[in-house]
Amino acid sequence: MRDFSYLRATSADAARQTAALPGAMLLAGGTTLIDLAKCGIAEPDTLVDITHLEGLDRIEIDERGAIIGALATMSHVADHADIKGRFPAISEALWQAASAQIRNMATIGGNLMQRTRCPYFRDPSNFAACNKREPGSGCSAIGGVTRGHAVLGTSEACIAMYPGDLATALVAFDATVHLGDRRILVDDFFLLPGTTPDKEHAIEPGEMITAIEIPSSAAVRRSTYLKVRDRQSYEFAAASAAVGLELEADGRTIRDLRVALGGVATKPWRARAVEDALKGKMLEPEAVRAASLLAVEGAVDHGANHYKIELAPRVVARAILKMGETA
Amino acid sequence: MTVHDIRVGESKRGDASDGGADAVGGRLSRVDGPAKITGAAKYAVEQQLEGLAYAVLVESTIASGKVRAIDSKAAEAAPGVLKVLTPDTIISLKTASDWFGTPPPDRPYCPLARDITFSGQHVAAVVAETFEQAVAAAAMVKVSYDETPSIVDLSDGKAGDGIPVDAMTKEWGDAQAAFASAPVRICAAYNTPREYQAPMEPHGLIARWEGDHLTVWEPSQWLDGMARTYAEWFAVPFENVRLVSPYVGGGFGSKALALSHGAVAASAAKMLGRPVRLVMTRAQTFTGYGGRAATRQTVTIGADHDGLIQSIVHRGVNETSIDGMWVEPLGSVTSIMYATPNFSSRQNVVRVNSVVPGAMRAPGENPSAFGIESAIDELAYEVGIDPLEIRLRNYAEQDPHAKKAWSTRQLREAFAAGAERFGWARRTPEPRSMRDGNYLIGWGVAAGTYPVRRAYGEAVVRILADGSVEVESSSIDMGQGTYTILAQTAAETVGVSADDVVVKLGDSRFARAGVSGGSRLAGVMTGAVYKAASSALDQLIGLAIGDPRSPFHALQANTLVVANGRITAPRGDGPDVSIADLLKSVGRDRIEATGDTMPANSTAEDRYKNYTTIAMALPHTEGDYSRHSWCAHFVEVRVDEDFGTVRVSRVVSALDSGRLYNPKLAESQWKGGIIMGIGQALLEEGIVDRRHGRIVNNNLADYLVPTNADIPDIEVISVGIPDLHSSVLGGKGVGELAIVGMAPAIANAVFHATGKRIRDLPITLEKLI
Amino acid sequence: MTKIPVHLDINGRHHELQLEPRVTLLDALRDRLGLTGTKKGCDHGQCGACTVHVDGERVLACLMLAAQAEGRTITTIEGLAREGELHPVQAAFLEQDAFQCGYCTSGQIMSAVACIREGHAGSDEEIREYMAGNLCRCGAYPHIVAAVRQAALEAAS
Repeated sequence: MRDFSYLRATSADAARQTAALPGAMLLAGGTTLIDLAKCGIAEPDTLVDITHLEGLDRIEIDERGAIIGALATMSHVADHADIKGRFPAISEALWQAASAQIRNMATIGGNLMQRTRCPYFRDPSNFAACNKREPGSGCSAIGGVTRGHAVLGTSEACIAMYPGDLATALVAFDATVHLGDRRILVDDFFLLPGTTPDKEHAIEPGEMITAIEIPSSAAVRRSTYLKVRDRQSYEFAAASAAVGLELEADGRTIRDLRVALGGVATKPWRARAVEDALKGKMLEPEAVRAASLLAVEGAVDHGANHYKIELAPRVVARAILKMGETA
Repeated sequence: MTVHDIRVGESKRGDASDGGADAVGGRLSRVDGPAKITGAAKYAVEQQLEGLAYAVLVESTIASGKVRAIDSKAAEAAPGVLKVLTPDTIISLKTASDWFGTPPPDRPYCPLARDITFSGQHVAAVVAETFEQAVAAAAMVKVSYDETPSIVDLSDGKAGDGIPVDAMTKEWGDAQAAFASAPVRICAAYNTPREYQAPMEPHGLIARWEGDHLTVWEPSQWLDGMARTYAEWFAVPFENVRLVSPYVGGGFGSKALALSHGAVAASAAKMLGRPVRLVMTRAQTFTGYGGRAATRQTVTIGADHDGLIQSIVHRGVNETSIDGMWVEPLGSVTSIMYATPNFSSRQNVVRVNSVVPGAMRAPGENPSAFGIESAIDELAYEVGIDPLEIRLRNYAEQDPHAKKAWSTRQLREAFAAGAERFGWARRTPEPRSMRDGNYLIGWGVAAGTYPVRRAYGEAVVRILADGSVEVESSSIDMGQGTYTILAQTAAETVGVSADDVVVKLGDSRFARAGVSGGSRLAGVMTGAVYKAASSALDQLIGLAIGDPRSPFHALQANTLVVANGRITAPRGDGPDVSIADLLKSVGRDRIEATGDTMPANSTAEDRYKNYTTIAMALPHTEGDYSRHSWCAHFVEVRVDEDFGTVRVSRVVSALDSGRLYNPKLAESQWKGGIIMGIGQALLEEGIVDRRHGRIVNNNLADYLVPTNADIPDIEVISVGIPDLHSSVLGGKGVGELAIVGMAPAIANAVFHATGKRIRDLPITLEKLI
Repeated sequence: MTKIPVHLDINGRHHELQLEPRVTLLDALRDRLGLTGTKKGCDHGQCGACTVHVDGERVLACLMLAAQAEGRTITTIEGLAREGELHPVQAAFLEQDAFQCGYCTSGQIMSAVACIREGHAGSDEEIREYMAGNLCRCGAYPHIVAAVRQAALEAAS
């Protein structure tokens, strides 16, 4: 790890301003940043520690929705009774991520800034080419070991998978990111790699995530996060789905449906085609399975990750059907 | 040296079986446990030394070629840097002998490479005042290369068929002809990938020179073997090298030999005149030494319609490195598990650009069992016979290869006990016939075996003035329970409580010990301690009877009884004296005895060879018997039909390790082997980037080992009986046995669940959806 | 880079250190303070061997800068036993033989104490999931579950 100076922010404004200086970065839970610094990827001159700031870890819930402070830890949000009760997919996405220790450290704001697990991105000394790290240097993953790489949202410049769980649930339910006074949909906060995979988030120097806001809906109240992986726990998703379901009074017709995919795309992936195909339709297993195939429309594999194209629709279908079974 | 001085309540000490918890065979809790659960146990690299400097390795980023230049200027100028070692600046060492003790070629040895034969080879090292400074400076070392094409792995077109290993050939009858004429024929190929030991404690060491004396604190499965290598590298007498390894944070075969990183650290310490600590990063542990070699086998079985085997033809290949030789004996289980009149097994090794593979829990037997135990399952379905029944029909009543009687083989008993407990009789034979919602349920069985590796051992036992007993050996405890079973052995033999025994291990100044590998340590060391303790006891009783100052002197007894630390006459008449009081009365402050199991006429040279090489290990088929441990695994899997994910939901294993010195600890080791087998079956695989010849999942987030959530309750049943042909006290091997057969048991269960036969490990979801 | 003063409150004792800001809590404990009970298994948050409590919550000392821990209360494995009495979780680990080599054990125990305190030891399944962040290569998992279950029951009664 390169050496750096360490500052404790005294206020959110001071933190934003200091972090805007060249070479400076915000430090919250550190579970991504310290890891990446050890990998030689993050090379800050100054770290601005914001974990001691007061008031940024609040969880406020009313009938309109939930506002979760950027410094609330993953574990506190996951275990929050009202999050569990009224936003189950959020809680489930959180407790199935990482480990209990990491969830105690990692903050919600930091979680949104989590970076890819692409092994080529993470090993600069062995793999010089990475457009995410060094724009224009190429992509080592294409043509390499791709079992964990994205099949959706890829570009010729980058196929790195977005590994997070929480943001997948957030995009399903139209959550927004608070950057101080600026609000932006989580779906828009994450950027496709395109020709600029180094630019991952719609956040500008001098901005800091202060909260996320999840609007209430019938769909989020009846929601789940289904995560499939090789190992039962402490692993990133092979494919995951955040699903929320609202039925008409008949208990069979789909009024509202939210679907987002994790583990398969370069960003948290909203699957509106699946939603649109099923809204207004009867909740029937065959129809759900057929519509779920739309989740991977346009998917492109790179060999070893082909299974994700098969797997993702099955995860979506299972999650929708599971929600249909809950009364 | 380790003294466990934390006392725990009686209820925590363990419960009795034969002879009480303290005796051999008792369920005594780990005597080193209190030190481990309080954080007091200091592992090798945790010594606090004055003036300690920190070394960090720089590794090659190509798999084949030459180092053109190393630019270390920036690193040398970095804060705190004391030295940058490169092939040009490191001191020259001598080549050491191999583990057979083969005299080495007379040429220098450089642990930093100019000629690169694998990605991750050590090319330089940076030593600095602090760990952080060394890490930062190591990243500044710039190495340029002239790269040449590499051979990635066994499937590389350039790899070829490899080199035949004639010593692996086992043949009897006419296997090809018998196969050709057999009415039922099975032929399939089975592959296992590179797998890694991944002990939780990374490899590393602290090296310190005082004149021409070297002390190395290093986690080690073999202090005397490693001391020999260090001594030969640095051309100092063997006695000048002291290895210290009080606790070992897991080895699984990977910590038995002195490796190049050790040579780098000891060189740095010598060059700087300061103690140096070098610990591999987790990533470096995937390339700094070898894991299990990738293997390929074809197994053909010819049988009749009743499932009786008429012929087995087996061909195996394992990878080795460009300039090293590793043979993973793939025919080891194939040749002994089932009775067959005709047999042929041959093996090649193929050179690839990898670090030389090494020993990992049951090398040979493990992949071998994956082949034969999968193949016989395939035969069972082919002829329509229950997989358990077909194993019993082909039961080998004697060693089919050595043509000798088994010393003991409780495998039939293992099948019976395991099947009964598992409920095997309730299994429906058809694949895909058991289901629970989205889950397909499968039940599988497979057998495992591991040879009893025997060697000679040595130990010192002292009876001290306070009546306590001290055991010393340079053998080690990496979790098998050596501290505990040797305390039990000494306690029972001398006649004291295990609480009054202090076992000192892990220092090469103590009585010598051979390698702790191949599941041999417990049998060897309990035998040696039993001998030394018996000798100490004889001395004690001799003093009590013969010394005129002894209260027993007037008794004119032939012998005396020592129990619970007290000495009495056999008939109960006469004095009742504590050991401490007896020693005091005869004016002795200690009794000391060295015991070994070496042949009586052994020379000093024999002893050196015995403890520092494996050349004197006794063949498991020596004499009239063939000696092995045996086991039968019964496994239930749940396969998500849509997702292809496999979870092991139930395991019942019945195992024959002979007599258990401490069932509580043996059960733990068995379960550990079973769990590593679950990882092998479902998760573990070193994945190579074919363009770079480099393992890309070189970390614990991507090289998946099982988590707690992956492991169900596991039931183990001991079916062993004492086997005095195998060891002094009747035990056979424990540590490696239980992993053998687990992967095929799971693969067989997956077939039963899904109808899909997976012959390439690991069984990941994309192979099933 | 110049060192900065870092004050750490560990196991009820106050420590004053001069550290480079990049020094992790783990390396401060092991290399500067001789508190080697906390283990380094991967240094990247992938194994759990370095689990300690900060303000009563289990965290990974390898991913936390020592400087970040200033002003917080740190408990390591060395601070768990009180006046020579083993913590019930430690005692349960010994009784159930919930470890072999011992290298992951400090982390397992610190994690287990927190797991019970968090209320995540309600069933074997829950224990397995909430202890999944502590790898054990020796394979002591079933015994770890038994130890956590036992200690949780003791704590509840």
